[in-house]
Amino acid sequence: MSTLHVLSHSPYTDSRLNSCLRLLGSEDAILLCGDATYALTPATAARQILDAKVGSLALFVLDEDAKARNLTLPDWVKSVDYPGFVALSVQYDKVNTWL
Amino acid sequence: MPKSLLIISRQSPWSGPSAREALDIALAGGAFDLPLGMLFLDDGVLQLMPSQNASQLQQKDITANLQALSMFGVEDLFACGASLAERGLLPAELNVEALQVLRHQEIATLIDRYDQVITI
Amino acid sequence: MKFAIALYSPAHAPSSRRALQFAQAVLADGHEIVRLFFYQDGVHSASSNVVTPQDELDISAQWRAFVASNQLDGVVCIAAALRRGVLNEEEAERYSRPAANLAAPWDLSGLGQLHDAVQAADRLICFGGP
Repeated sequence: MSTLHVLSHSPYTDSRLNSCLRLLGSEDAILLCGDATYALTPATAARQILDAKVGSLALFVLDEDAKARNLTLPDWVKSVDYPGFVALSVQYDKVNTWL
Repeated sequence: MPKSLLIISRQSPWSGPSAREALDIALAGGAFDLPLGMLFLDDGVLQLMPSQNASQLQQKDITANLQALSMFGVEDLFACGASLAERGLLPAELNVEALQVLRHQEIATLIDRYDQVITI
Repeated sequence: MKFAIALYSPAHAPSSRRALQFAQAVLADGHEIVRLFFYQDGVHSASSNVVTPQDELDISAQWRAFVASNQLDGVVCIAAALRRGVLNEEEAERYSRPAANLAAPWDLSGLGQLHDAVQAADRLICFGGP
């Protein structure tokens, strides 16, 4: 079973990203959208935590949010558009949005 | 076979309507005899504190609704052990009986067991 | 695949627009939406009374158009709506409130409709927060 976790809160003011990372299953993935994309900002604590997961975590980002924030993405993060987001929701067994 | 739903409740009892509205989803599902589980995580474990005084805030006491869960057939109740410990809560003191306290790895497994999940 | 989409945020939240964009992509990809269920502050995304400046997006109008033109089942949770002051004509009359701010294509109904959608769908996707 695999879950796609969806996060949209800023990692600087909110604990959802940290909570989510503590509960991830080995087959799970994270989609960062909205302000959660700031977690990929270089030289931040959130980015460091995510960098440490390279190879063990499938990480996706919603394209429009990364572009709106002018974020340069590391090559191990996959950017998706809305059709891609739909495809992910089909690929993973369920979607857990951290409301 | 009906699909099972896990409701993850993450908000404290009186920070807004989320605690109550997560519970409402569980009670509604229980009334329809659906297979449900409820996990209290992060500030959601604050709903489980004993001896709360909702009337001080002119609010309804959520404890009664929490205790009604098993009456509505929602018996699979869980709390995150780390969330409890971080907030100074002891499992033995909680206002809900028959609640399983889980470690993080067990929560990952728990989520996998359900067909759908709502994290409020 | 069959999708149930639940929205928990008002029209001005980025997640309301995000949910709409996602829903549009779901249909464009040939999937089915069994129900849209608006809960918590999502009831405000169904308001008829939102007024936005002409040079800004009117997400509540876009939701209305999307539901109507695709003949989708758009349900607003009645308990969540009432406590947030989102009422259709029937409820406004029932509770003697001065105005109704919820109209077609939205239906007011209970949480049973959310559970029904979860049972009918292959995927439940929730949107809310920022």
